[in-house]
Amino acid sequence: MNAKAKFFLHLQYFLGRITIIVTAPALLCVVKLFGYRIRNLKEFRRKVSGMMSAHKGPWLICANHLTMIDSVVLAYAMFPVYRYIWSFKLLAWNLPEKMNFNANKFVGALCYLTKCIPVIRGGDREKVKSSLEKCAYLLKKGQSLMIFPEGTRSRDGRVDTVNFPYGVGRLVRNIPKCRVMCIYLRGDGQKTYSNFPRYGETFSAVVEECRPTTQLKGLKAQRDCAGQIVNHLSQMEKNHFRICGK
Amino acid sequence: MKTQEIFDQFVQLIKKYVKDVQKLETATMETKIIDDLKVNSARLVDIIINSEDAFDIEIDDDDADQIRTIGDVVNVIEHKLRVTAS
Repeated sequence: MNAKAKFFLHLQYFLGRITIIVTAPALLCVVKLFGYRIRNLKEFRRKVSGMMSAHKGPWLICANHLTMIDSVVLAYAMFPVYRYIWSFKLLAWNLPEKMNFNANKFVGALCYLTKCIPVIRGGDREKVKSSLEKCAYLLKKGQSLMIFPEGTRSRDGRVDTVNFPYGVGRLVRNIPKCRVMCIYLRGDGQKTYSNFPRYGETFSAVVEECRPTTQLKGLKAQRDCAGQIVNHLSQMEKNHFRICGK
Repeated sequence: MKTQEIFDQFVQLIKKYVKDVQKLETATMETKIIDDLKVNSARLVDIIINSEDAFDIEIDDDDADQIRTIGDVVNVIEHKLRVTAS
């Protein structure tokens, strides 16, 4: 990654850091305005805090993906918003689709200030490489990165263990210090993917660590690691439905 | 192995991932794998891995990142085979 790209990432971090006093309450407002609730929130936050205390970073936060605002709900679920004001590092970097990022200027600015790096999905490897290089740079700096390993929202409402990209495996292989936090988040009324969760949605959230290991090399190792993470999320989903009795 | 042989073998290999099969029949070295053949970008890695197995070579990240056209893959395979043989 060149010096210019690094400079702009640091600038984004700096601007985000000084505006978090506004963006963090905005995050809380969105969640409260839509009446979203997380079941057993304190216990979930205690687990996340425990994992992040045991390993300061970098963390690759891998979650299932059902709506366009999953990262907002996840950020709210992981820590009380005041903690993001005290420790901006706790807010994970995100990789929204560039088209969503540019939907309107207000959303774009908010995304920029809350550590979003726009990516072009479905682009050639050279374009994807530039986004992955930024991610790798941030992870090497000990920052956390939130990523949806399926690469898109789950089309049939369940974690897709067949058609997923391997970018997450590439990050895991290239940054050995990076640990993987899998989060499964699902609203009671979420049958399939959508733009937004329904008003007043109550979510169940589960967090577990996944430690992908492989004897393979190169691209095969990346595919293997990505597969282990996606399968871990799929297993968490099965457990979720088993507990729900569905 | 001749360039044409690698090309033919690769075209067979890529078949199951191609959405626009008609374009594959008229494919050349300049045919873009994602843009022209409508291969899912995520599946491009599977294609490269299958090529590794088929030709008994290893393609690293940097080489894989440069791949856009069928010709790019054929050239990488040809180069790797030459290095292995020497």
